[in-house]
Amino acid sequence: MFFEIFLFELKYRLKRPATWAYFGILFLYGMIISIGGFEGGSEKVFLNAPTNLASTLNVVSIFGIMLASAIMGVPIYRDIEHGTQNYLFSYPISEKGYVLGRFTGSMAILFLVSLGLILGFMIGYAIGPFAGFEPAERYASFNLWHYLQPSLVFYWSNFFFTGCIFFALVALTKRIMLAYAGGAILFIIYLVTLTLTQDIENKELVSLLDPFGFGALNNTIQYWTPEEQNTLTVPFKDTVMWNRILWVGIGLLICLFTVFKFDFQRFLNKKLSAKKKDTTDSNSSSAAVLTKIPVVSQVFSGSHNIKMLLKLAWMEFRNITKDLFFKAILIAAVAFLFFDGWFGNPTYGTPMMPMTYYMLEIKDYNYVVLIFILIVFMTGEVLHRERSVKYDQIYGALPLPNWVVYGSKFMALVFICFVLVNMILLSGVLNQVLKGYFNFEFGMYFTDLYLIEFPKYISYVMLAFFVHAVIAKKFLGHVITIAIWAALFAISSLGDIDYNMYLYSYAPGYTISDMNGFGHFLSGQNWFRLYWLGFGLVLAVIGLLFWKRGTDSGIKARWKEAKQRLGIKEKLVIVVGALVWICAGWYVHYNVSELNSYRTVKQGRELAANYEKEISKYNFINQPKFTDVKVDVDLVPEERYATMSGTFTMVNKGETPIDSLHLNWGDSQLLHTELLKLAVNNVDLKEGKVYSESNYKLYKLPNEMMPGDTVVMTLAVKKGYKGFPNEGSGSDIVYNGTFLNNDFFPTFGYNLQYELTSDKYRKEYDLPVKEYTAPPQNDKWGLSNLLFNDDADYVTFEGTVSTDPDQIAIMPGYLQKEWEENGRKYYHYKMEGEMDYFFNVSSARYDVYKEDWKGKNGEKVAIEIFHHPGHPYNVERFAKAVRHSLDYFSENYGPYQYRQMRIIEFPRYQSFAQSFPNTVPYAESFGWTGDFSDPEDLDYAYMVTSHEVAHQWWGHQITPSATRGANQISESMAEYSSLMVMKKEYGVDAMQDFLKRELDNYLRGRAGENKFEKTLLDNDTQAYVWYRKGGLILYALQDYIDEDRLNVGFKKFIDSAAFRPHAPFATSNEWYGYIKETTPDSLQYYLKDSFEKITLYTNKAKEATYKKLDDNTYEVKVTVESAKNYYDGNGKELEAPDQPNLLDIAIFQNDTIINGKTKKVPLVLEKKWIKPGTSTFIFIIDKKPLKAGIDPYNKMIDRIPDDNLISLEELE
Amino acid sequence: MELKIENLSKTYSNGVHALKNITLTIPHGMFGLLGPNGAGKSSLMRTMATLQQPDSGSITMGDIDILKDTDRVREVLGYLPQEFGVYPKVTSYKMLDHIASLKGVSNKGERKDLVEALLNKTNLWHVRNKSLGTYSGGMKQRFGIAQALIGSPKLIIVDEPTAGLDPAERVRFHNLLSEIGENTIIILSTHIVEDVANLCKNMAIICLGEVVAQGNPTELTSGVQGKIWKKMIDKKDLDAYKAEHQVISTHLKAGRTIIHVYSEIKPDETFQASPANLEDVYFTEITARLNAVNA
Repeated sequence: MFFEIFLFELKYRLKRPATWAYFGILFLYGMIISIGGFEGGSEKVFLNAPTNLASTLNVVSIFGIMLASAIMGVPIYRDIEHGTQNYLFSYPISEKGYVLGRFTGSMAILFLVSLGLILGFMIGYAIGPFAGFEPAERYASFNLWHYLQPSLVFYWSNFFFTGCIFFALVALTKRIMLAYAGGAILFIIYLVTLTLTQDIENKELVSLLDPFGFGALNNTIQYWTPEEQNTLTVPFKDTVMWNRILWVGIGLLICLFTVFKFDFQRFLNKKLSAKKKDTTDSNSSSAAVLTKIPVVSQVFSGSHNIKMLLKLAWMEFRNITKDLFFKAILIAAVAFLFFDGWFGNPTYGTPMMPMTYYMLEIKDYNYVVLIFILIVFMTGEVLHRERSVKYDQIYGALPLPNWVVYGSKFMALVFICFVLVNMILLSGVLNQVLKGYFNFEFGMYFTDLYLIEFPKYISYVMLAFFVHAVIAKKFLGHVITIAIWAALFAISSLGDIDYNMYLYSYAPGYTISDMNGFGHFLSGQNWFRLYWLGFGLVLAVIGLLFWKRGTDSGIKARWKEAKQRLGIKEKLVIVVGALVWICAGWYVHYNVSELNSYRTVKQGRELAANYEKEISKYNFINQPKFTDVKVDVDLVPEERYATMSGTFTMVNKGETPIDSLHLNWGDSQLLHTELLKLAVNNVDLKEGKVYSESNYKLYKLPNEMMPGDTVVMTLAVKKGYKGFPNEGSGSDIVYNGTFLNNDFFPTFGYNLQYELTSDKYRKEYDLPVKEYTAPPQNDKWGLSNLLFNDDADYVTFEGTVSTDPDQIAIMPGYLQKEWEENGRKYYHYKMEGEMDYFFNVSSARYDVYKEDWKGKNGEKVAIEIFHHPGHPYNVERFAKAVRHSLDYFSENYGPYQYRQMRIIEFPRYQSFAQSFPNTVPYAESFGWTGDFSDPEDLDYAYMVTSHEVAHQWWGHQITPSATRGANQISESMAEYSSLMVMKKEYGVDAMQDFLKRELDNYLRGRAGENKFEKTLLDNDTQAYVWYRKGGLILYALQDYIDEDRLNVGFKKFIDSAAFRPHAPFATSNEWYGYIKETTPDSLQYYLKDSFEKITLYTNKAKEATYKKLDDNTYEVKVTVESAKNYYDGNGKELEAPDQPNLLDIAIFQNDTIINGKTKKVPLVLEKKWIKPGTSTFIFIIDKKPLKAGIDPYNKMIDRIPDDNLISLEELE
Repeated sequence: MELKIENLSKTYSNGVHALKNITLTIPHGMFGLLGPNGAGKSSLMRTMATLQQPDSGSITMGDIDILKDTDRVREVLGYLPQEFGVYPKVTSYKMLDHIASLKGVSNKGERKDLVEALLNKTNLWHVRNKSLGTYSGGMKQRFGIAQALIGSPKLIIVDEPTAGLDPAERVRFHNLLSEIGENTIIILSTHIVEDVANLCKNMAIICLGEVVAQGNPTELTSGVQGKIWKKMIDKKDLDAYKAEHQVISTHLKAGRTIIHVYSEIKPDETFQASPANLEDVYFTEITARLNAVNA
């Protein structure tokens, strides 16, 4: 019996087109992914590496919720739908046979459909190397196990689990809606949970409870190096194994429950809750005969039509808002919105204050996706409403013009959109109120929601109306609209087409800033919106023409109908729409492509490749170096342009004569550049050879500059923005918050910065693979140039800057004079002593906070904080960090070279802080609005400020040479310095949280490396090495050899290398030399491991027990495992040395909480020489212990830092 | 006012030739449209009700071109489709009120009187506040006619309105229709001959998309008077008779088969003359045609 039903199910499903459609979709998806090479991560990882396959299969199986619900929901429901239940169950079949047969049959179909993806992959990855979208070397050869293993572990087991759920839901409740809506809702709930749990500490538990094993998979492979990703499959053990056993088991239980619970009798019973049909009917009534139907007046005027339009629109609106699906999705969407807002935008895990711009920005995270789906579905519902209850014929024959019916439906959706944008307002304000933030910027809300977001939603509605009206089949309409959406997304994000005018409803990205409001973005936004509304209007009217009113769905008939409907009014609206579209389109195009030069991503790469081919011959040529710089800057913020002129005294410090100046303007895509003057010793220079594509020009000097010669160059440049671009922030000069630097001027000679870095693309353009950007440590050119700028060594500097009268303009140096002239404000700055050639120009409407720092030797430093008047919250935190930093650094490294330290806020178009001599521009979003109320959270404002102040020593006193590894002197040292300042203020326990973040960042960085991981000594480009690894290694080093002792070494380095007047400038070897010198012989192994090699520990507490002894003391036995491995740059494991390493062994009491901060209380914390392998230690202590383990503060680099401590067990 | 249909043709995109050059004149009063399932009745009715367009031909009513001037037709149209649904959660009162306002009855007081009268008229008064989803088939059908009667329509099209109704409901329904004013064109389609015989002054029979007969039921009946013959036969002989005679219909009576045969003269002595009725007209017209298609 079972077998019959099973076979019937199988045969039936195999004939259904839906089965093959699902199969085909997965197959195509697999092919596209594999041939197109759409995989993130490192370039070194094969596209079909086992981990990539596992991740993709896992993610698809999560989306497969929908598939499982579609396939597993119907087999039982089918008998209800087709009414076969009434006789089918009268046949002699058993309930279990029936349920099990349908279940296994459908499950078999689900697995069959799922094979589509795998087959697509297999074929795609075989074709891929020849298709040319990705280089052939990114494809590994076929390995069946790499498909089979993740399919078994994740893909099929997830389908099994979700399949069981949906089968049970429908079999037990008879409601197919539960399968359809349930699929969508389960999916959304899952995504919400993922978002909500991402910051939870207990990752193990979260990933165990994740029904799809997504967390378990990611936790396992997140730190795998490219080499490991290419060779290993995800091991079926630990969390992965338990997770799978748990969820497949639950699936199985659900399935069994259904089989035993299912009962024909109950299944056949109609819903008891449904109202009984009212059959009471008064048989005849005299009233009926006697009643005369009164004659009424009917009005069919234009105003009647308008009235009906509004009435129907309102009714439709009410209908939509009553829809359960609508409510469910809307609640989910608003929940997303609310929680995205609630959890803020943590920086280093620390939340941000609920700023209005953030409440607005989060709408683009998850909300907009759900809203789009909602709009599509509701449009389908609305356009098919009459048809779905078969009321369409009566309704269609009512005396309502088409535009009233269609228009009312459209208006209803527009109302819905209005509600949807206001949800953002509501959620935002609610969030702000709950967090005690009452500075409601309704102007900002309204501008964004009503002028930008609302028209965007309307253009979604227009597209949805067009598709649904033309397609006239609800489900197909949904599919096609969403497919159009997905295609737009795929084209723009995966393909290289980012021209917004080609992508329906797209517009340039924009950033709202408290400092600059909507700034220069608003006009572009408005024009793009107008452009799409015009186009959308045409679409919507075409929809009206084809919209099916009546009964004939033949193409010919509807075409004919459409022609008939195309009256003068319709033509007029189309013409208006088209005119708006074309005019706005012309204006947008004029701005995007004529005023600004649009370039595809590919063209950008080509340009970079050509630049290198054409110009790299000038690399390392001798050019003069500035010794004195005087600049005059005139900023015109409201027109977004500036002129900058400079008088440069420059010397030929090289050994060869210089006959030409090589001006490299770099890539100024958005800034329009004009050279106003270029003269040397007052003689105007003439253009010589010009490489116009590369913006590289040669100017012949009037006289050759012989080595040692000095000349004065005057250079004046005007740069500014015009109109609005296709994309890009154009944030150098803005209405309020200008921030630009010396790159406003052209640089001399070839600049490596503009080269193509990705080896993948370099090969495409026949450029050699680039292993290093900087020359080796002993390279003569490298040693005689400074890292940040090779146009000058240290210089003397002064400048005047003018700006709007209500703004303050700042440059490095001390303010000499400020005055007003011609309605403009002027500031004159002059630096004392020398600085590296690196200056910024900032201008905005600022409030200034001032305080003084006094050093031990009586020196005074003026601390000035220039901040947006609306951001006073953390100003003193910045000031405190500056004070503490100056304390620590001046004591340990030597005196601060200036008498002032300024921190300057700039708009959040970028998010970084950058240290210029005595000046630190600091992004608006980076600490100014951080919420540091929880003492457990990392005070990153303090830490980053300290880091930037440290650059005054590490970067500005010692400016590293332009060689490999030299940037460690700047960044690793600044990182180390800030760690030390922070440790002093916040204690060792706060450090561990941060170090774990550093560790996580480092391990992720190397897992995604596109070339090969470099060591601390030769790293020239890898930020995760110089910040993360550098910080970790130096922190552990000071722990090993004592902070003060290490600082003595660093001080010696400063003394030797600060403001070094001539080459050779500082290298990583020089730095390393001081470190080696300070480190005892016993720990030299650590230096070698850390600076010269890539070394990872695997430390783990294995067992820990204690026994209470008679004298009230405790004997604690700790067994730990330790291993140390070397890796090559690709992440391939090399040898594992077996010499002992010095590591912490510790026993802890309960944590205590002091001032809201958790503190560990060590009973034992000793450094022990531990040989790789298992070691056991016994301690006698006098307090009851709780936890014990190895390297408890995570000072070593260890891929599983959480297993270093375990709870102690008491032995009897 | 007359409704004139001229040379109306329609082929659906699936190839079905639903209407073939139909020409009909429909005077005011009740007009019956008779035909077997799939004859094209509903296609014709939907075309008249502005719900679809023919490939060619024209329909006019007075000075209204029904095919072009759809808005004007709808203003005077009452339409009850063969199958229709309702919003299950709305009451009949609210729904009628809503439709009345859509039909241009904008005066609130008038609308209230109208809706109440219609509810009384269609015997739905006692369930006016019950939601339509709870209605029985007959009640739903009466609701259907009530909505079609809103706004004194000049053209009422009811498509197989009595299908699925019990006999009492059918009678009630006929009464309702017959009470509608004389100045209205009422087009009733059905495949039940009796309905037409009882109700209609004029009628047409359509079969396979063509008008095969039209006129007054009595005249049409008299046209075959004297040409209908019946005989009681064994079931097994039916095919033989069909081959030899123009058998227009068969009935069962007490387990035996009675055939009606159309013939100008008495086929043979075993046949008896049968008084002609509209049913014989109907079967005379359609049987041969359907046989020709099926053969």
